[in-house]
Amino acid sequence: MTVFAPPASRLDAGADVRSRPVPWPGMLWVTWRQHRALLITVSAVFCAAVAGLLVTGLRIHHDYALLIACRPAGSPACQGLSDFFNSTDWHQGEFAHIAVQAAPVLIAMFAGPPVVARELETGTYRYAWTQGIGRGRWTVAKLALLGSLLTIMAFAISQLLTWFFAPFMTTRQLTDLTPTVFDTSGLSYAAWTLVAFCLGAFLGTLLRGTLAGMAATLGGYVGLAAATWFYLRDHYPVRTFWPMQLLEAGWLLILSAALIGGTIWLVRRYAA
Amino acid sequence: MSVLTLPAQPGQDTAPPPVPWRGMAWVTWRQQRALLISVPAVLAAVAVALVIFGLKAHHDYAALVNCPLNQGRQSGACQKLFSHFNSTDWPLANTVSILVALAPVLIGAFAGAPLLARELESGSYRFAWTQGLGRERQVIAKLVLVGIALVILAGAFGGLFSWFFQPFLWTEQMNRLTTEGVFASGGIVFPAFTLVAFMIGAFLGMLLRRVIPALAATLGGYLVIRLAAWGVRKYYPLAVVTGNSKVFSQFGTPSVPGYPWILSTWVTGPGGQPASQSITNGILNGPPGGSVPPGYTEWNRWIPLTHYWPMQCIEAGWLLVIAAALMAGTVWLVRHRAA
Repeated sequence: MTVFAPPASRLDAGADVRSRPVPWPGMLWVTWRQHRALLITVSAVFCAAVAGLLVTGLRIHHDYALLIACRPAGSPACQGLSDFFNSTDWHQGEFAHIAVQAAPVLIAMFAGPPVVARELETGTYRYAWTQGIGRGRWTVAKLALLGSLLTIMAFAISQLLTWFFAPFMTTRQLTDLTPTVFDTSGLSYAAWTLVAFCLGAFLGTLLRGTLAGMAATLGGYVGLAAATWFYLRDHYPVRTFWPMQLLEAGWLLILSAALIGGTIWLVRRYAA
Repeated sequence: MSVLTLPAQPGQDTAPPPVPWRGMAWVTWRQQRALLISVPAVLAAVAVALVIFGLKAHHDYAALVNCPLNQGRQSGACQKLFSHFNSTDWPLANTVSILVALAPVLIGAFAGAPLLARELESGSYRFAWTQGLGRERQVIAKLVLVGIALVILAGAFGGLFSWFFQPFLWTEQMNRLTTEGVFASGGIVFPAFTLVAFMIGAFLGMLLRRVIPALAATLGGYLVIRLAAWGVRKYYPLAVVTGNSKVFSQFGTPSVPGYPWILSTWVTGPGGQPASQSITNGILNGPPGGSVPPGYTEWNRWIPLTHYWPMQCIEAGWLLVIAAALMAGTVWLVRHRAA
């Protein structure tokens, strides 16, 4: 036979012709490499928030314990404790509560849109989307990883905040169903964080720009939150805490899934 | 004579060409038109909503204030008006006030951070900064033009919000000076905060050279300045000291809403000596301007509501100084950075 005879086919040689497994674990590394600035910053903010809530919360609980144990109840000393609790401690509690409520949309604004929009803006999608894993799986892996991480962190913060805020429920006569408390307890906070992230990813992909996506995410989230606060919650068929939490988490989860689906569909459809 | 040695012709203008500032206005418009269109559009939409809702709030408030005195403020009909106001009008107004408090940093960050950082990130500065106008003048022109536009928009919007929120000052017993969401969201302080946020964004954009990190850092920097302003307001040199003043009883009425902003209280006895602890505690436990034993004087160091505009001027003043310093810093970075 000459040197130029064609080689035996791979089939003849008994090659393994099953498809290779989809390289999902590789996406862990890719997500870390491409988004490490975001992941490091969000982790740092999370740790700072946990530390702050713990330190301040322990002091607030201590002050509250002193307050309710103070005898005689109407004396100037007890009144002084009460004044301090209702001014200094309450200011800190209120600030922490507002900060925690504002955090999801601000973080999702920075986390969601760049996932796809940054690739589109810089042109690196030409490389990223022609990898073996395929653009759909690439996007869904990244979104799932980042989204789960943010949701888990949000859940942890909301549980910590519920503990932190417990004394003020009595002193401020709040209930579980007070809108600001409902938003940051149970499953609601984690679900809203997830929806904010998915909204960011979808709008970033739709508008094909990071900044436009960020601004639109902010506007969209505020609109959705306002619609829920002032309209949707009044029309829930249930009126107690956990059923309402489950219902709200449920429809937010469905909305998040729809937004992810929309993002993947847009990515697949993108011609350029 | 050859062409190469042609002397200057008489009558030719040998002065340098005029600086093309008008061209810079066109360039700023071209580069920033997305921002310069979307920010007024969003503010206009919110303004329309504020006007509609504000008219309703003012109408409800007028009914509440004019609840006939012979029925007394505590009568059933007046109570019903009050609780309706509190359950429908107030929650929406409260949400709006929180969003308006966030408006300066959002407008400033989205306007300021990409202004210079986007050119640096995309590399187009190599073209922009080699134009005839020169990089410093370009940056000054951009900062001034966009800054003026933002200040005008923010000033108008802040004025509208102040009008919108005015009924709630009485129903929620808010002092215009001490309530953060009222003092910093109106007057001249609101546009000053917007300008400072814009300058923080531009400076950090130039420093960090990337848009998204600059945006995030602008949010953080603005929070620091906002907290500083909240903490330092009580030290403005506008406090008055009054003895046995009866003016505090005026507070809580529609024309003087909220509680007086009292910084400190002390009691002196006959002959100007500090009073005993028991008498002082007795007076401190009561409302300010309450009854005082004969011969004793209750001194209060406090800031009256009439000092609203002086306080606004002081705060806007130091905010403007910070904004100017940041602008100078930005121009310095542009000049000295090889990028």
